[in-house]
Amino acid sequence: MYNFLLALGQTLIRFTKITGEIVLLMWAVLREFLLPPYEIKNTFKQAMEIGIKSVPVALVTAVFTGMVLALQTVTGFKRFGAESLVGSVVALSMTREMGPVLTGLVVAGRAGAAMAAELGTMRVTEQIDALETLAVKPVKYLVTPRFTSALFMMPALTILSDFVGILGGYAVAVWLFGMSSVLYWHRAWDNLELSDIYNGLIKAAFFGGAVAIVSCYKGFYTEGGAEGVGKATTGAVVISFMTILISDYFLTAWLFK
Amino acid sequence: MIEIAGLTKSFGPNQVLRGVNLTVQAGDSMVVIGGSGSGKSVLIKHIIGLLRPDAGMVLIDGTDISTLKDKELYEIRRKFGMLFQGAALFDSMSVWENVGFALLRSGMREREAKVVAIEKLRLVGLKDVEDKMPSELSGGMRKRVGLARAIAHNPEILLYDEPTTGLDPILADSINELIIRMREKMKVTSVAITHDMHSAYRIADRIAMLFEGRIVQEGTPDEIKNTSNDLVKQFITGSAQGPIKVEGISF
Ligand SMILES: Nc1ncnc2c1ncn2[C@@H]1O[C@H](COP(=O)(O)OP(=O)(O)OP(=O)(O)O)[C@@H](O)[C@H]1O
Ligand SMILES: [Mg+2]
Repeated sequence: MYNFLLALGQTLIRFTKITGEIVLLMWAVLREFLLPPYEIKNTFKQAMEIGIKSVPVALVTAVFTGMVLALQTVTGFKRFGAESLVGSVVALSMTREMGPVLTGLVVAGRAGAAMAAELGTMRVTEQIDALETLAVKPVKYLVTPRFTSALFMMPALTILSDFVGILGGYAVAVWLFGMSSVLYWHRAWDNLELSDIYNGLIKAAFFGGAVAIVSCYKGFYTEGGAEGVGKATTGAVVISFMTILISDYFLTAWLFK
Repeated sequence: MIEIAGLTKSFGPNQVLRGVNLTVQAGDSMVVIGGSGSGKSVLIKHIIGLLRPDAGMVLIDGTDISTLKDKELYEIRRKFGMLFQGAALFDSMSVWENVGFALLRSGMREREAKVVAIEKLRLVGLKDVEDKMPSELSGGMRKRVGLARAIAHNPEILLYDEPTTGLDPILADSINELIIRMREKMKVTSVAITHDMHSAYRIADRIAMLFEGRIVQEGTPDEIKNTSNDLVKQFITGSAQGPIKVEGISF
């Protein structure tokens, strides 16, 4: 019992400490974002890394998600004769849910892992200390560009995913099941509201920012050589995934009333 | 001038510095010697504010940097150049971008910065490496690129963490000469850490020995050579027999 309480207490203290440190990092990132000089070149470089290079994986994910949604809807909804709704189901699911969440997971797995590994290596090889001795603030130079890029690239990737996912659904519904193309688009557009799209994009931006902060935090405070870098990278991906999936519920409850 | 007074620092239960007092006059070259793990790197990191002391003061030209706000600390760091023990080159950048980093950051054009970088690389005995990546270099070359980066922005204070470790004897001596030249021509104040007594005698105006978290003796190279302190005597003659015991190794 004593051991259990001790472990519980230590876990709580650790959790509080980590949360506090993340909030402080977040604060520093925002301050450095507002204060000149601006890291424009660096931010573009990161936007390439996070955004452009994630496009292929995000697109493959989205197209197959759209396809499987259509497949499930056609076969499942047939039981109560509602398979004509497939356009709506795909469009609503993609924009409100699948687009932002799956793109978030892709970005966490690709870019989040890379951020943690890169910053972690820089930490354990004293490159972050070296930046400081050259009078450059590591948060400004390393974290702010990654955060801003992720914040803006996630919605951009998500809108692509939404669109490609709906096309994937179209392919299955129209080409495979011979549904009328007009009906698919009609269902997709008529039941889709602008708020579905932009609320999805708000989610996406949140996920992007969260993945960047969590991953940079893990990398920035890495300890213990190559093994530490490995742990930081795994930790970054796991925490990013959890953050996306858990916050998704609450964001959905808040955004889609 | 660098003044360190009552500096203590622990990492968890590990008391590394237990009250270090050390003064380096402007324009002087101080060499810190001491066993592996005695806290030399920890000490030098306090001088540039990479670590904050648990207690004590670190004064740089009269300003206590251990209590400075970030903004002022970064301002004061422009006076410094530091060579890290492991070189700490930015491995996402080419050699010349590493050397010219501070110059590029302060707004110099790429073309000019590259010219300066190549010139500094020449000073440390490297040529035709400017477009290579750090991963393509040998350990000794990386060290020298680190040195070139440390001197690129003409700092007033230079910190060298083991500048000659890992270099062959001839190269090591040319680095010693470079350090001496930096002091004579550029009037820099410097603190160097080394295990290499030959190099210590060459470059030092004064030598201090760190042992068990304190400075046990400080003096001119001649005073150190003729020391009556058994600890220092054992260290500079490099003997396994004496008051300093190597833990875990027995015969
Ligand atoms: N960031 C840190 N966190 C925890 N412990 C540290 C840290 N930096 C140094 N130490 C500990 O402080 C002690 C002194 O380390 P330091 O690197 O200063 O030794 P050193 O005198 O430079 O040795 P060497 O000659 O081998 O480089 C060691 O026990 C080391 O484990
Ligand atoms: Mg050391």
